[in-house]
Amino acid sequence: MNALVQVTGLRKSFGDNEVLKGVDFEVERGEVVAIIGPSGSGKTTILRCINLLERPTGGRVEVDGRVVCEELGDGTMRFAERGDVREIREQVGMVFQRFNLFPHMTALDNITEAPKSVRGMSKEDANARARELLDSVGLGHKADAYPLQLSGGQQQRVAIARALAMEPALMLFDEVTSAVDPELAGEILMVMKRLAQQGMTMLVVTHEMSFAADVADRVLFIDHGVIVEQGQARDVLTAPQNPRTRAFLHAVLDRAPMAEDDESTAGAGEEAGFGGSDLFSERVATDPEAGPDDG
Amino acid sequence: MDWDVVWESVPLIWKGAGATVSMFAWALVIGTAGALALALMRLSAAKPLQWFAIGFGWLFRGIPLLILLFFAFFALPELGILLSPFLAAILGFSLWTAAYQAEVIRSGIIAVDPGQSEASEALGMTKAHYMRRIIFPQGLRIMVPPFTGNAITLLKQTSLATLVTVPEMALLTQRIFSNNFKFVEPIFVLGMIYLAMTSVLLIVSVAVERAVSLKV
Repeated sequence: MNALVQVTGLRKSFGDNEVLKGVDFEVERGEVVAIIGPSGSGKTTILRCINLLERPTGGRVEVDGRVVCEELGDGTMRFAERGDVREIREQVGMVFQRFNLFPHMTALDNITEAPKSVRGMSKEDANARARELLDSVGLGHKADAYPLQLSGGQQQRVAIARALAMEPALMLFDEVTSAVDPELAGEILMVMKRLAQQGMTMLVVTHEMSFAADVADRVLFIDHGVIVEQGQARDVLTAPQNPRTRAFLHAVLDRAPMAEDDESTAGAGEEAGFGGSDLFSERVATDPEAGPDDG
Repeated sequence: MDWDVVWESVPLIWKGAGATVSMFAWALVIGTAGALALALMRLSAAKPLQWFAIGFGWLFRGIPLLILLFFAFFALPELGILLSPFLAAILGFSLWTAAYQAEVIRSGIIAVDPGQSEASEALGMTKAHYMRRIIFPQGLRIMVPPFTGNAITLLKQTSLATLVTVPEMALLTQRIFSNNFKFVEPIFVLGMIYLAMTSVLLIVSVAVERAVSLKV
C-alpha cells in the first residue's frame, strides 16, 4: 500500500521569500515522524501545506491516495476541488501551537461541533464520543468548562480530542507544547505518546528532542527550507551525520539535556493526577518496538 | 423655566415618539441587514462585490445624512419615485445605517483571531458554517459597543426627518415654538426624551455585551 502522506518537491514562497525549497518525504501508515529544525526553517509551513492552510507554490502533496495539490507541466499549481479539500481535511487532524479552541464554546461543544456539522453525527452520538475522548485525555471532568477556564496544558488536550473526534487517518502536531508552561508540556506529550502507541499516524513539528527520540520512528531535520538529514530517530538524534544537524542538536540539547528532560516529562503526567485514566493507566513504554503498529 | 409649560409640552411632543421610534427601528433592521450583506461582500474573494461594498461605504458615509433625506424626499419624485415623508426618511436612514454598521461588522469579523478560521477549516467545516458558528459569535463581542454607538447616533439623527416633514418629536417641538412662543421648556422636554431613549439603548447594549462575553 502507498504511504499515507507523499510529499514531492514541495515548495512554498511568501512573496519573494522562499520558505520551502523542494521538500520530499513520505509518512507510512502508523508511523510517527518528527520534524525538527531551527525556527524559521519551514517546519510549520510543511504541515500547513499538507491540509492546504497554505497553498504550496510548487511540488506535489498526496494524502491517503488523494492529490492535495500538484504542479503541472507548465509550472502552475492544480489544487484539489473545494469539496475534496474538505474531505481531505476530515482525514487530517491538526493541533496548533496556540490551541485555537473556540473560546465561546465549552470543551464538549468544541469537540462536537465538527462531527455534528461536517459528518452529520447526531448530538447524542457526538456528545458520547466527545466524553470518551475527554476521558481519554484525562479531562472527563472538564466537559462543561470554557477554554479560558482551563490551563494551557488542558486546552491543548481538549484540542487534541477535538481533532481526534473527526477520526482522522493522520494527525499533524504543530509545536503543540511551545505555548504552555514547561511543567504542563508533559501532560500533552503523554497524550501524544499514547496516541502513537495506539497506532495513529503522526507528523510532529517539535522542539521536544526527548519526545522525538522517545516516540518518533523517523526524524526529519529541516534547515532553510530543505531536509538536511532524515532517518531513524535514534540515528539522527544521537549520531547526526550532517554538521548543521550536529550544530542544531548541540545548541538545543545544551540547554536541555535529553536524559533529564525525559525524566521530567514522564513525571509530569503522573503528578498531574491522571494515574487512573485510560491514557495514563500504564507506564508508557519508551521502547518504540512496543508500538502496536510495529512489525 | 415654567414647569407647567414643561408638563403641558410632554404629551404634545410624546405624540411624535411613535414616529421617531418606528423610523429608528425600521432603519436599524433594514440598515443592519444591508450592513451584514455589505460586510460579507467586502470580505468576499469576488472583486466586483468588494468594489460595490467599498463604493457604497464611500458614497453614503461621505455625504451628509441630511442630503440623503433631501434626495429621497425632494429629488426622487422628479425621477418618478414618489415616497411618503416617512418612507423617504426610512430610506435615507437605512442607507446611512448600512454604510456605517457595515464597517462595524467588518472590523468585528476581521478582529477575530485568524487561528479560529484555520482551526475550523482544518476540521473540514464549510466557510458558511464556521462564519456563522465560530467567527460571527466572537466578532459580536467586538461589534456591540461601536454598533450601539451608531444606533444611538441614528436615534438622534431621526430628528433630521423634521426637514422632510415627518411628524416626529422634533417637528412637534417646533410646533410648540410657533404656537406658544415657548422655547426653553419644549427643548428641555425633547432633550430629556431623547436622553431617556438613548439610555435604554445603552442599558440594552450593556446587557447584550454581558450575554456575549466569554466565560472566564
